[in-house]
Amino acid sequence: MSPIWLVATDEWRFWLRSHIAIGGMAVFLVLIITTSLLAALRIEAETYARINQQDEAEKTFLTQPDRHPHRMVHYGHYLFRTPAPLAQFDPGLDLITGQAIFLEGHRQNTAMFAESTASADFGGLSWLSPALVYQLFAPLLIILFGHGSIARERETAVLSSLLAMGITGRKVIAGKTLALLSMAFLLLLPLIGSGALALSASEPVSSVFLLFGLYFAYLATWVVLTLMASVVLKERSAVLGVMAGLWLALALVLPSVAVNVASNTVSAAGKIASDLVMLADLQELGDGHNAKDPAFKRLRADLLQEYGVEGVEDLPMNFRGVVAMESEKKLTDVLNEYADARMHAEIAQEKVVAKFGWLSPVLAVARASRAIAGTDLANYHHFQRMAEAVRFDFVQGLNHAHVHQLSYRDDINRNRDEDARLRARVDASNWRVLDAFRFQAVSVSERFGNASSAVYMLMAWLVIMLAILFWRGDKLTP
Amino acid sequence: MMLQADSLHVARSGKEVLSGISFSVDAYEVYALLGGNGAGKSTTLLSFLGFLSPTAGSVLVKHTDVYSDIAAARKAIAYLPESASLYEHLTAQENIAYFLQLAGMSASSPAIDAALDRVALSPNARRRKVGGYSKGMRQKTAIALAMLRDTDILLLDEPTSGLDPNAIDEFHQTIRSVADSGKAVLMVTHDVYGACHAADKIGMLQGGKLKGEFAAEGHGIDIEAVRKAFSATVVPS
Repeated sequence: MSPIWLVATDEWRFWLRSHIAIGGMAVFLVLIITTSLLAALRIEAETYARINQQDEAEKTFLTQPDRHPHRMVHYGHYLFRTPAPLAQFDPGLDLITGQAIFLEGHRQNTAMFAESTASADFGGLSWLSPALVYQLFAPLLIILFGHGSIARERETAVLSSLLAMGITGRKVIAGKTLALLSMAFLLLLPLIGSGALALSASEPVSSVFLLFGLYFAYLATWVVLTLMASVVLKERSAVLGVMAGLWLALALVLPSVAVNVASNTVSAAGKIASDLVMLADLQELGDGHNAKDPAFKRLRADLLQEYGVEGVEDLPMNFRGVVAMESEKKLTDVLNEYADARMHAEIAQEKVVAKFGWLSPVLAVARASRAIAGTDLANYHHFQRMAEAVRFDFVQGLNHAHVHQLSYRDDINRNRDEDARLRARVDASNWRVLDAFRFQAVSVSERFGNASSAVYMLMAWLVIMLAILFWRGDKLTP
Repeated sequence: MMLQADSLHVARSGKEVLSGISFSVDAYEVYALLGGNGAGKSTTLLSFLGFLSPTAGSVLVKHTDVYSDIAAARKAIAYLPESASLYEHLTAQENIAYFLQLAGMSASSPAIDAALDRVALSPNARRRKVGGYSKGMRQKTAIALAMLRDTDILLLDEPTSGLDPNAIDEFHQTIRSVADSGKAVLMVTHDVYGACHAADKIGMLQGGKLKGEFAAEGHGIDIEAVRKAFSATVVPS
């Protein structure tokens, strides 16, 4: 039997006879299984609720009676973002971004938060996800298991016996690495459970595999870091102290520093400030409700010339509807310009945070995990863009009915009496401009693309640390 | 010649620890290196194991320069550090079986028991984890392992420090029987009487230099002469 295998199996024998190791493993398993179950139940309930809410919203919109089409533009409609299947493993930004958005004419509303079902949520206690457990707590378990791997044998002088027998330092380290990697693999088994649930919700198997591989590489990085400390430092207590400090720095301090640096280096206007600036721009476009607004003078002149008529009441379409349609188009261009600027600022900030992945594998894995799970910023922007496309389509669909199914004369006289009001309505069948909506996370290939740079960072961490470890292993001394 | 140091110079952290020592150990021979703290005793052992390269001179194991083939030298040697190094989570039997496997050997349970019988480790103790052993019990287990490894050379670093007188006597008898089976034993110690009792030859080490050698003649080594020489090395006049 190879010495590497023997060293690895003995390490397992040591753990199985250690109360601390078994206790640590038991605590971790309880934590990961509990969070996985709770997260799965929560996401299942949210998915069910949002699908129902979406159906209900569509039904409510479609069953509205005959009305003036512009009333329906302001009646509006709700879109609900159903969680991605892997959100049960890594809810990512879903926890802090809105899941429902109210669509109406002339505005791009902000996505709103889902209602909380328990007051404990307000403290963030229910935010512990399986991904967070793997990102933050699994490394602690690896440190607990691995800190003594080499240092323990140096303290008890067993290392000198091993080396004196001709077992090379590299083989000893390889055996310890194998043991810790197999332990990391076992720690990830509950992830397969989350993955299986995601597969049953139509998640492609490739993303589940990639997620498993990602977390294995992440835990392997911690394995190598821990072993390196155990090789370099003479005593277990020193290894434990240094690794605890490193965990604090990489898992808690650097992510916080990264976020602060991002917000200080990339300025992003606040919602109120940018809305005020945008409002000034929108006012220059004119009031789409007022066909006599000077902003539409040119449109009026062009149409009158095109149809060779003297007044808008002689046009073969409803000029008020044309104005509403034109106004919505121009207004949407401005709204999209501001939305794009906001999204670019958010992406720029995220890129700054992402660069810190070179300094912290925790940041790298978190970003890649969110991307693969479909719960990252790109996915949130995808929802906002989808919502805007739906909003623009249904508003313009209603404006189209306004143009062609309601005469200008009936429209301007709609408030004269009850009969006039009734004549200024269009048939409810026009509300079918609204398509059924089901939110779909971005495609798997796009998600993999979004995760790629973070995956490269993590792989760089792993490869460089492994190279240093085994180079140092050649120089291992008692 | 199983072990040979020839004008050996070794430095640690830039400071010369061994300054040209020369001695040799044959098969069937127990050689004790005596000296005070910092004399260079452990450094000598580590040089034979290939852990410390000489700055000048050479160390040979079975006529071959250690640093030309470290792996071969280490295969020929069984080394017992000062605190007999064993896995505390394993029993004596498990320790021996594991180390033998690492050395590419296998030994049956009866063979291990027989070796433990030879070093007089009680059957009851063999089933307990080494973590609860006394130093004497650990030494016995380590010696049993060395016997089963059947190497030609045994290196012992302060093997009797911390042992009670009875255990020291038992240990010396065991070492003697190991040497009598054709092995070469090199032990470093500051136990003058133990060295005189167990060794065939004693080298007196002081400040990295070999100040003299004492060989057994007739009824053994002249303890008084060794004691005086040792006193001179640890209390310089």
